[in-house]
Amino acid sequence: MAAQHRTRAAPIATGNGGVDPQACYVYGIVPAGTPLPDRLQGVTDPSVPVELVGRGRVAAVVSTVPADRPLGTAADLRAHADVLDTLAAARNAVLPMRFGAVLRDTETVTEDLLDPYEEEFHDALQEIEGHAQFTVRCDYREDELLREILVDREDIARLRDDIAALSEEAGRYHRIRLGELVAGEVAARRDEDAAVLADCLAPHAAAIAPAEPGVAEQGFSAAFLVRDGARTEFEQAAEGLARRWAGRLRVRLLGPIAPYDFAARIAGTAEGDG
Amino acid sequence: MATATRAGPYLDRPTSSSLADVIDLILDKGLVIDAYVRVSLIGLELLTIDARVVVASVDTYLRFAEAVNRLDLTADGSRGLPELVQDGGAEHRSKGALEGAEENVTDAAGSRRGDAEDEEQPEERPRRRARPAARRREQE
Repeated sequence: MAAQHRTRAAPIATGNGGVDPQACYVYGIVPAGTPLPDRLQGVTDPSVPVELVGRGRVAAVVSTVPADRPLGTAADLRAHADVLDTLAAARNAVLPMRFGAVLRDTETVTEDLLDPYEEEFHDALQEIEGHAQFTVRCDYREDELLREILVDREDIARLRDDIAALSEEAGRYHRIRLGELVAGEVAARRDEDAAVLADCLAPHAAAIAPAEPGVAEQGFSAAFLVRDGARTEFEQAAEGLARRWAGRLRVRLLGPIAPYDFAARIAGTAEGDG
Repeated sequence: MATATRAGPYLDRPTSSSLADVIDLILDKGLVIDAYVRVSLIGLELLTIDARVVVASVDTYLRFAEAVNRLDLTADGSRGLPELVQDGGAEHRSKGALEGAEENVTDAAGSRRGDAEDEEQPEERPRRRARPAARRREQE
């Protein structure tokens, strides 16, 4: 509790001073009085303090950013995630904002964001309290996967052999066709394996959010909201799956991290309107 | 007891997320501020929004074909060969189509790049407040 008010080395500006316009970056929403670890480093400038702006039972985690500089360098992305994940790792309830949430100033944060939605944020935070997100990413060992496909699909293997006899130019159409067939087969296997992942781990989680894979992605993933008391059994189940897939897939477990995949659903506001 | 099971021999548990993981987690997830606040929003330009959109294209297919063609299979391709199930070696071989895609994303997030690799990423272009999830769905 003592750490809850950090000194304001650089007070967040009003945003309309012509020379050096500043704005207020919002990382996420936490319960009022959440202690902020000292080592949090803000987006765009690690020396700028990350602070709480509170209203009633909830508070926003914010820091000052220049209002005239585009966001999104690798360091910006990391800073955003680090602030949220550090809070989550310390077992604080936190509702992450999508990267790039910038308001005019702290007044706007309290008046336009916290005030009208205090009830909603409070309820969502209560729901998320005592849970953290774990994301499981499974990446195929590419050569292994392609071998599986060539062995199982004689038509693809035959096409591959045919192409070897053609000149590069003459084989172009065939190569596109070959790649298309392989891509389709990769997608089919990915869907099957993603279902296995969900089946194995969902029983140990409070909620699951499967990711929609892109066409050329090298694997699949799913996010799980795991109760603090169920972490060990969840981790054991993940380990069991990694053992089962050893040699075929690399299985990575990220977490505990902030509940990126669950915040919008739990807070209940229509997500993404475009 | 809780810590005893943390690092199993098969499961990979990185102590910090890779940049690609971070992009995956934060770019199109979390609460959308626009849903709460509209008037006081500062529309800062976001650099990397489209970086992760890798669409299926002739180019992608050709890279798959190339990956399959460079595979070191025995001539008859018969089933059950020990090499087929053997682990190791494959992991650190040259970049294939699948890994290549991730690399591009990581690259793109690191800096604002020129058009050197435009062929591979037709969609990469800084946009203002784009919505990658929606865009991706449209393209599939």
